[in-house]
Amino acid sequence: MSTSWKQLLFQSVLLLISCRPTQTKTSGPTPPPLVPISPLATDVRSVVLKGESHTEKVELVNPVDLELECIWSGNLNNLPNITGFWRKGGDEIENSRLAVQLENEKYHLKRVFRIVGEENLGSYSCVFGNEAKVDFILAAPQMGEVRDKPIVSYVGDSVVVVCKMEATKPKPLSWNWYKANGTDKEQIFFAAESHQYEIKNKEGTTKLVVHNLTEADSGFYNCEAVYAIGTTMGHVELKVITLWEPLKPFIAILVEVVVLVAAILLYERSQSKKKCSGENGTNAEQSNTLTQAENNGPEESSSMRQRKV
Amino acid sequence: MTSNEPKAKKSGGGGGAEAAEDGDWNWALVGALFVSTSLVFGLMRSLGVFFVEFVQYFEASAQSISWISSTGLAAQQFFSPLGAALCNAYDTRVVVMTGGFLAALGFILASQATCLVHLYLTMGLISGFGWGLVFTPMVATVVANIERRRALALGLGFSSIGIVSFIFNPLFQFLVETYAWRGALLILGGLSLNIVACGALVRPKRRSKAPEKVDSEKSSSCSSLLGRLSSYLELPLLLERPYLTYTLAVTLLNVGYFVPYFHLVAHSRQVGFSEYQAAFVMSAAGASDILGRVASGWFSDLGHFRLIHLLSLWTALAGVFIMLLPISSLSGSYAVLMVISLLYGFCSGALTSLVFAVVPMIVGVERVMGAIGLLQLIESGAGLLGTPLSGLLKDVTGTYTASFVVAGGFVVLGTLAMTTLPHYFSCTDPPAPRRPSHGEKDKSLHLELEQINSSPPHTNHGGGQ
Repeated sequence: MSTSWKQLLFQSVLLLISCRPTQTKTSGPTPPPLVPISPLATDVRSVVLKGESHTEKVELVNPVDLELECIWSGNLNNLPNITGFWRKGGDEIENSRLAVQLENEKYHLKRVFRIVGEENLGSYSCVFGNEAKVDFILAAPQMGEVRDKPIVSYVGDSVVVVCKMEATKPKPLSWNWYKANGTDKEQIFFAAESHQYEIKNKEGTTKLVVHNLTEADSGFYNCEAVYAIGTTMGHVELKVITLWEPLKPFIAILVEVVVLVAAILLYERSQSKKKCSGENGTNAEQSNTLTQAENNGPEESSSMRQRKV
Repeated sequence: MTSNEPKAKKSGGGGGAEAAEDGDWNWALVGALFVSTSLVFGLMRSLGVFFVEFVQYFEASAQSISWISSTGLAAQQFFSPLGAALCNAYDTRVVVMTGGFLAALGFILASQATCLVHLYLTMGLISGFGWGLVFTPMVATVVANIERRRALALGLGFSSIGIVSFIFNPLFQFLVETYAWRGALLILGGLSLNIVACGALVRPKRRSKAPEKVDSEKSSSCSSLLGRLSSYLELPLLLERPYLTYTLAVTLLNVGYFVPYFHLVAHSRQVGFSEYQAAFVMSAAGASDILGRVASGWFSDLGHFRLIHLLSLWTALAGVFIMLLPISSLSGSYAVLMVISLLYGFCSGALTSLVFAVVPMIVGVERVMGAIGLLQLIESGAGLLGTPLSGLLKDVTGTYTASFVVAGGFVVLGTLAMTTLPHYFSCTDPPAPRRPSHGEKDKSLHLELEQINSSPPHTNHGGGQ
């Protein structure tokens, strides 16, 4: 009994000394014993590989113990034993190399990963010898519809910038908004209370309302969906223009209409002048055609025509 | 008989240049009708792009946004008689130009809207009022001035609605993306100003309406004012049986003939076809609609049949095809649905170019302006009835079958009503009725007009032209 206590004390002291944030290449680091290990939910993803490689997207919301399983049916020469190992990112996970036996014409690789935070997400691969692999892309739910065209609004007006997580995907815990200021690194975080900005969150949608727009408000706005496992970003572009922009084509059309109307009226006036200055009787004939004011029938009309000629 | 000859001589001899010029002007008039109709109805139909933006900006429901176009259409139809009366009293050119200006003003003001009510008032009321001052006068002017190729002129003019919707939808989408809805509405206002140019093409008429209308002897007493008002609005038409019958027929027609355009897509999806298949059926029906308008106009003017017979043929066929639509899609065959939709599209287009061409046969060329105005007003009630009714039937029965059958039934009823017109079953057109005349001068004037209305294109006399 006392030996085990001594061992525990020794380990704790060691860990206290070495407890510094380090970049581990291993997957799912076990949390330091100081923090009680809470039981996580478990999930299994299994892929049966038919060809040489396959990519599987895994969407995670909460911290989970994720078991990844790869089943390979092999190729023409199925050796009874091959080497299989796991990779995270591009690097091989330590101590993950195994000898895989052929069972029922298939090779099995299985490993449990503890996914608790952003650093645990990424690409995990199981590799069979040098011949086949399956990539698992672990990520928080991504936003599907990204509006590629900018939202346009006017100076002095208010605008609603929307970010939506698809209804089929799980809803984020909260949303954050940032405005890209110059380079990517600098982002302005929007405070909850502000006279110019309003943030309305409803289920899977977040709306950023910007009042009293100025041209400086143009640019990229990034919305961040926060999940227990990590965050995903979406971006929307806002363009603020003055009323002068649409006024340009409007004035062009206005000028076109005025020119057309003037041309039509002038043409008509010149035509009627021609008629008036031309034959004297044309007017009389016109009024005949239009009003049919023939009182006494055919004779009258023929005599009138004779007079004209 | 004899008085026709000098008329023919006159138009052939000294008036050669003038007839040619009139021909040119007639085509300019058809062009003006094309443009103004596209800017009234073509515009109205393509406003869907804006509604999406309005829903988001004003955070309103889709239904309250759809009231904007309903208000616009209702205003256009309601103010039609007023437009007609103003044209009868004053100059058509000025009325149409004013209408164009008002329509443009409505959109320009709408671009500054800060609440939904602003949109109802500007895009709905003001623009609708402007459209009312434009559509009826333009149609009546074309009907009154073009005799020989009346149906073709109308067919060409109305085909603009379908053709232009292929242009306006992507154009408006682009405008909204580049300038947001405010800028896009401003530019639409500018586009609507082109109606003013169309109005300028309408020549002031130099008819002797003056002696009929202005009674210089009577002082402007209340009764004479009312009398003048009623004559401008052509209210006595409402007491004439032929006109009433025709109005009833057109109203019944309007209840049903447009229903497929509203519900065909939803019905196709419900039966099981994909979104693209359903949309393609609609586009195909729209394309055959355009074809039907022009083809029917051209064919009617050949003069082989009376216009009223052709119109009843097209309406009967349209009614039958509407009733066949649900049956064809229930059978599950996409080809059958496509064929019937194409046929329906063709017939519904064919009848639209004839509906107004028949009016001068019934009321006489002189009264066409007021007649069309009143017709627009009365048939607007049908529009208000038709769509909600079909929607209600769908909600009650669960499928669109009942809606289509009822809609087709209304169209067939309208055809039957048309058969009760006087002289329906005769092979030649009856003489058109004339306005009660006030003197010798006017009597002979109307005699001439009567001859014109029963002139060669529509009877065997004089041969084909």
